[in-house]
Amino acid sequence: MVASRETYGTEFETQDLLLNVGPQHPSTHGVFRMVLQVDGEVVKDVIPHIGYLHRGAEKLCETMDFRQGIGFMDRTEYLAAFNAELSYVMAVEALADIEVPERAQWIRMILCELNRLSSHFMFMGAFGIDVGVFATPFIYAWKEREQILDLFEEVAGDRMMYAYFRPGGLAWDVPHNFKARVREVLKSTRIGINDFDGLLTKDEIFRTRTQGVGVISAEEAIEWGMSGPSIRASGVPMDVRKDEPYLFYDQIDFNVASRTEGDVYARYSCRMEEMWESVRIIEQCLEKMPDYGPIMPEKMPRMLRTPPGEVYIRTEAPRGEYGIYMVSQGGNRPYRLKVRSACLSNLQALKDMSVNQYVADAIIVLGSIDIVLSEVDR
Amino acid sequence: MTSDQTDSSTPVEAPDDLSGTIWSEVDRALSGVTVRPERGVIDLIVHIPADEVIGGLRRLKTDETLDFNYLRCLTAVDLEADGMDVVYHLYSTNKKHNLTVKARLGNDNLRLDTATTVWKAANWLERETAEMFGIRFNGHPDPRTLLMPEDMTDTFPLRKSHPLQEIEILQGEGMGYPEEGE
Amino acid sequence: MGVDLFGFNNVNPWLDAFIRLQLAVVLITVVVMGYTYLERKIVARFNQRIGPQKTGPFGLLQAVADAVKLVGKEDLRPKSADPWTFELGPFFVFIPVLMTFVIAPFMADWNIRLLELGLIYFVAVSGLSIIGWIMAGWGSDNRYALLGALRSVAQSISYELPLVLCVVALAMFAGTYNLGLIVEQQDKVPFIVWQPMTALIFFIAALAELNRSPFDIPVGESEVAGGPFIEYSGIRWSMFQLAEYAAIFVMSIVFASMFLGGYIWPFGDQVGVGLQLVLTGAKALLFFFVVVWIRVSVPRLRIDQLMGYSWKVLLPLTLVQVLVNGLVLVNGWHEVVLLVAGLIGCAVLVTATSRAVERRPRVPATRTAPVMQGEAARV
Repeated sequence: MVASRETYGTEFETQDLLLNVGPQHPSTHGVFRMVLQVDGEVVKDVIPHIGYLHRGAEKLCETMDFRQGIGFMDRTEYLAAFNAELSYVMAVEALADIEVPERAQWIRMILCELNRLSSHFMFMGAFGIDVGVFATPFIYAWKEREQILDLFEEVAGDRMMYAYFRPGGLAWDVPHNFKARVREVLKSTRIGINDFDGLLTKDEIFRTRTQGVGVISAEEAIEWGMSGPSIRASGVPMDVRKDEPYLFYDQIDFNVASRTEGDVYARYSCRMEEMWESVRIIEQCLEKMPDYGPIMPEKMPRMLRTPPGEVYIRTEAPRGEYGIYMVSQGGNRPYRLKVRSACLSNLQALKDMSVNQYVADAIIVLGSIDIVLSEVDR
Repeated sequence: MTSDQTDSSTPVEAPDDLSGTIWSEVDRALSGVTVRPERGVIDLIVHIPADEVIGGLRRLKTDETLDFNYLRCLTAVDLEADGMDVVYHLYSTNKKHNLTVKARLGNDNLRLDTATTVWKAANWLERETAEMFGIRFNGHPDPRTLLMPEDMTDTFPLRKSHPLQEIEILQGEGMGYPEEGE
Repeated sequence: MGVDLFGFNNVNPWLDAFIRLQLAVVLITVVVMGYTYLERKIVARFNQRIGPQKTGPFGLLQAVADAVKLVGKEDLRPKSADPWTFELGPFFVFIPVLMTFVIAPFMADWNIRLLELGLIYFVAVSGLSIIGWIMAGWGSDNRYALLGALRSVAQSISYELPLVLCVVALAMFAGTYNLGLIVEQQDKVPFIVWQPMTALIFFIAALAELNRSPFDIPVGESEVAGGPFIEYSGIRWSMFQLAEYAAIFVMSIVFASMFLGGYIWPFGDQVGVGLQLVLTGAKALLFFFVVVWIRVSVPRLRIDQLMGYSWKVLLPLTLVQVLVNGLVLVNGWHEVVLLVAGLIGCAVLVTATSRAVERRPRVPATRTAPVMQGEAARV
């Protein structure tokens, strides 16, 4: 399939070229760096280098009390900050045994799914650029993402770093027209997904570029600890929302988008289907969410302390399983906090997916696992 | 902060109620290995001595009923005077159950066999744990640093003895946050 | 060729040619500025944006602002770059493009020189700019630049063959390589009607020659980050841009002249210089618009698919076209035969496009254990 050095015979000695991609490169999605060993156009080896965005969030959280830590979680996963906050506050709630009011849980669900939509839109746009369409998909996706971010701004006061979830519930109640606004956003989102589907999914060149590229088998994906759409595209329908329901996902009817081919196109179309599922979930949440009700428990201590213990909370973030391992030895701050990053585990499999393919394939494989470097490096 | 350390090191406390967990299966799979179960907030926690933990993990992975084929997370917890815990979070994609495995390392011997022979996923997680805590994973295929600079092999940022915490606490005191638990 | 301009041709044909060249250079600069402005506006519209609007009325001075900015930038050269090849690279890209303007017929009797072997000259000279690309890629001492330059050479060589064969097919049909004579034969019906497949393949190959999407592999922003001109800045970088848009301009004029009837169709050659210029310009702009339209719509091909497409699809089909043209000429059949054959060829091309481009097999990615499929996979 791919011409290799062996087929040329051995009269001429050839030398592989080391091509340094990143940390300043248009398609590394941040400050990721990989060294490609290329033989002509064929990638022979991939050496990833991460850590350029390491800020020691885990260590910092050990010195912050539970409420201060929320802000750090936003910054570990800036494209899906609600999902990151959710894991963190759920860990605190599990340790301190706090019951979250029903209405707060529904709002959390809606916001998390909306955040999944906005994050996937971001993926779609960036991926469109990776495969080489000039700006069009990016701006189409950006336009829809903008609507969702506007809504987030109305709710939380910030477009990306929300710090809106608190242990026990929410920081404040949503605006009175929240449901109407969400419906409005969903309406435009539906049109947006449709547009995007027509723009990229059925494109002949897009399909030839992505299908059969960067294949990873189900066993390898499990072995490497991949999660999220990246593993579901390989035929492992693993989704924390379904397997170990948190919030009220057990009361919602939704499918887990899953493909069997495990290639770049499967990962892309998995996300595309997930966006439709997210829209469905949000619609059901809007039906079931009570209009009035408390958003925090009646009695919340002014200084939040937890008994000693440890908990590993996992939630399904847009990129996969976002886990928080929190150890408390009593007191008002975590003794140890570990962020289990889905991107880190997905990125480990990069080498397996891109070796023996072309340089252009390596780029879209990296794009298809949708990394956020701040989550990888924390 | 760590004045009260009796609960984790002495096994004299009453055994937890483990009904409703997968403890019986785990106990069967790990027969011959020294195991101490503990009921966690969500998952079952088992403590395995450091020299037996990789064998135990491999049994947990290959056991047909347990089938822990997925390593969720691998990290360590610095317990200061008590040494360090290496924590493995396991999951089964087929059976959909979880297990937390902990191995205690003494401060004088921060060495452990690598888990990359069991799951490939342990590769980067162990690299991170090694550079952050100074734990040496014997037989690791790629023992470079992961997040830290390549030459930063003498300081271990996530250890409690690393100065950042003191600096932050000093700042916190200055800002009116009293130190808790002392 | 060409009629007297300002009466100089009688005095000194060299002086006449010189003046014409000067006018052409001014025209190129203005047109390139217009093209960049138009491209910005068209791309913006496709992207649901507005595009330039602050610089001058409707942002018309955007190109001027760009030029001022580019000229004002520092002309950097990497320390490890090869000085001569690095500095001369842009000229070797730009000069051949400028030279191809010699044969472009803008309107009746107005051109620089209509050569008897004009189309051969055009293809040959435009192919020379590969040397400039290689010089830029090699001299920059940058691996992206090298990779991009090699891609560029591979691509240019592959797509020059279908391009040349298209020219040959058209020249057989028209009986001449002289672009002026080719235009004059199209006063009733443009050649695209009789040679639809030639036109289509010429267009595709022209896209590849111009390094435009979906064949912008040598400069692919997301892969080689600009390719050969990754290390260039300021005026040298703008030389590349100027060459790129000038090449589009001359290619659009040549395409309009070869297939769309140039200045002559549909009004004949007696309609006055102004209308002829408008006709040529409109046809060239149509070409340019389609190029930009494709750019904003489709992803980039991979290098192996690109090569395979040229060698496996375009080259055989152009050979068939040459054969059919020869048969028609020898047997003196009616031109409708060519139309029918061309349309069939177009249909074959469209169907072959999706089949022949190499794609990898898609099978469920499983190795040993059973993987849930279909409904079962949906939990």
